[in-house]
Amino acid sequence: MTGRMNASLLTGGALVGVVVLAALASFVWTPHDPTLVDAARKLHEPGGGYLLGADKFGRDTFSQLMVGARTTLYVGVVAVGIAALLGTPLGVIAGMTPRGWLSELIMRVNDLVFAFPALLLAVMLGAVYGADTLTAMIAIGVSTVPAFARVARAATLQVMVTDYVLAARAAGRGPGAIATRHVLPNIGSVLIVQASVSFAIAILAEAALSFLGFGTRPPTPSWGRMLQESQELLFSTPRLALWPGLAIAVAVLGFNLLGDGLRDFLDPKLRRIRAER
Amino acid sequence: MRRIGIWIAVGGLLLGTAACGGGSGSGTGGSGAPKSASLSVGFVAEPANLDFTSTEGAAIPQALLVNVYEGLVKLSQDGEIQPLLAEKWDVSDDRTTYTFTLRKGVTFSDGAPFTADDVVFSLGRVKTDWKLKIKSQFDVVDKVEKKDDSTVVVTLKQPSNGFLYAMATRLGAMFSRTGVSDLANKPVGTGPYVLGAWRRGDSIRLEANARYWGTKPAVPSVTLKYFKDATAMNNALLTGGIDVISAVQAPESLQQFSDPNRFQVIEGTTNGEVVLSMNNARPPFSDKKARQAVRYAIDHKALLDTAWAGRGQLIGSMVPPTDPWYEDRTGDYPYDPAKAKELLGGKTYTVKMRIPNLPYAVASAQVVKSQLAQVGITADIEPLEFPARWLDVVFKQGDYDLSIINHIEPRDMGIFADKSYYFHYDNPQFGKLLASADSGTEQQQTDDLKQAAKLLSDDAAADWLFLFPNLIVAKKGVTGLPKNAIAESFDFTGLAKQ
Repeated sequence: MTGRMNASLLTGGALVGVVVLAALASFVWTPHDPTLVDAARKLHEPGGGYLLGADKFGRDTFSQLMVGARTTLYVGVVAVGIAALLGTPLGVIAGMTPRGWLSELIMRVNDLVFAFPALLLAVMLGAVYGADTLTAMIAIGVSTVPAFARVARAATLQVMVTDYVLAARAAGRGPGAIATRHVLPNIGSVLIVQASVSFAIAILAEAALSFLGFGTRPPTPSWGRMLQESQELLFSTPRLALWPGLAIAVAVLGFNLLGDGLRDFLDPKLRRIRAER
Repeated sequence: MRRIGIWIAVGGLLLGTAACGGGSGSGTGGSGAPKSASLSVGFVAEPANLDFTSTEGAAIPQALLVNVYEGLVKLSQDGEIQPLLAEKWDVSDDRTTYTFTLRKGVTFSDGAPFTADDVVFSLGRVKTDWKLKIKSQFDVVDKVEKKDDSTVVVTLKQPSNGFLYAMATRLGAMFSRTGVSDLANKPVGTGPYVLGAWRRGDSIRLEANARYWGTKPAVPSVTLKYFKDATAMNNALLTGGIDVISAVQAPESLQQFSDPNRFQVIEGTTNGEVVLSMNNARPPFSDKKARQAVRYAIDHKALLDTAWAGRGQLIGSMVPPTDPWYEDRTGDYPYDPAKAKELLGGKTYTVKMRIPNLPYAVASAQVVKSQLAQVGITADIEPLEFPARWLDVVFKQGDYDLSIINHIEPRDMGIFADKSYYFHYDNPQFGKLLASADSGTEQQQTDDLKQAAKLLSDDAAADWLFLFPNLIVAKKGVTGLPKNAIAESFDFTGLAKQ
């Protein structure tokens, strides 16, 4: 697991770092209470203690962005966690028994879930159980399971035909041991890249859901809902939409670049191919 | 990676919208509005069908009443009852017999003449064929009889001030005896307009009724255009797709219509009281002191300014200013967080605030939460899908502590008299006042209802956040728009366009 730093990795890491830092800082300090309504500060211009101004409720935009970063990362971590924890074992099982009925079943169910849009699932869950961050996370997570399962399966298939796996089999190792000792460590890098990319998708999905009113409940700040609340003020106070929009773009770009960079960083083969070109 | 590319494109789109929001220059409009024989008006809710005798929903009478169907009387913009198909009416001394003298020479749009028989037929149908809850307002009617071709006598079981008012709503609409076979698609009335075309999911076109008995409408063709999204409707007006926005959904967006050379903004009142309902049946709000604390804790002026751009009016009880028994009750509970804390006795509570996922409710809830937090009440906001989920959880099951909803029905103070209604307000004194108001003289009615409104306010049966404003935006030159939305219909009859 060695490699060289590259531009994507550094840029992505820096962007993600900013978001993570903002989220962590928000636990101990924000310039103002992000949910405190203050009519006197309605649409306060940027400046005077309000770095990016205030919204129509007089809430500080900067503080909201900071806490919004927390919401975003929280959703991303849990959703990707669900996807990885469910998708990886399924993919590995399917990959280790490529011609079995179990593999077929897993991959066909996978296709079924894959065809189901995450947003629709979230709206359905929200309608039945009441929309909040949890239903959004579950919906996004479940919809991302197939991506992990497919990636894990493909990588497992490659690992399963290597000499060391054949040797382990010949030595009488059981499938459980092969999976944990040989397969997982060797597909880890692929999964990390997938996680980073899925994270970006989860962030956008959460923003979209909150925008539609099916995500994080008010008044907990969320970038998507900040966008939605700024909608009616687009013509008079466009900055209210600009900042959360920018934050979403930065986070998504950051995780995508990070994913790209990690792939190059973790995959020596790919680096060599590029060098040969 | 392709999928991610699309997602980024979506993100960029959101950003893009934000970025180009600043300069809203326009290429159209400005130079002399064209003289035209048609007008189109934007609405948000499309009727499911055109039969308001069997289908609930405000959209049907909004489009058809007064415009296509007429009653014997109608409600004026000031809340007064005026003659329409009846030239006049006499009330007997015991106030149980109403004698209506009908206008002569009126015909339905299908050519049938309008006579006393149609009145007997239409009012009779309410009891026999109508399927709406509100038809119970006619329970007080004992019998409807034809005296001669242009005189009808309605006898009530007991005196009722609500009866004549109900006659001005859809309940009093006059139907032709030969025109009720397909109410859902083919309305037949005596009004100045007839149904021209209905493009489902898009628009309804009303055409001038050539047989109309009164002054012919100045605009012979009115199109009601339906939008699912408030922003789309705003854009349609900006780009000239429609001439009027019947009701602005997001008051902050009014700033885009601030150019007086192109647009006019009309603000009137409605019957919609935005109520912060409190569950009187379960703690903590079964305790009057806790309810009073909530009323003291809320800075209503600040709430209106932030949540609804300062549009609307503060009321303080369940009566809009267009009702004759309106009194300003906003002084009953002035903003006083210290007093609220005192009433709570230093205790803190965590309560469920289950609201419909409608813009005014979500906006108001965030202000209410912030203000209640100052006095030690933590209100967890849970937006529920409206109407289905909210009606089920809050309205039917009553599983809530606080909610916020706009009660749009006219003269609806009576809902507090019903103990099983989701407020679960229980004060027998209130019911007595309402009963005596309905059967008393008009003066008694006014006095009793004033007292009832005061009682509601004193008991803090709920809190009244604000009176929902009626906000109309129209192109410059459109006149005769109904300023106040206090009747069930959107009255097109006075419309004109220069």
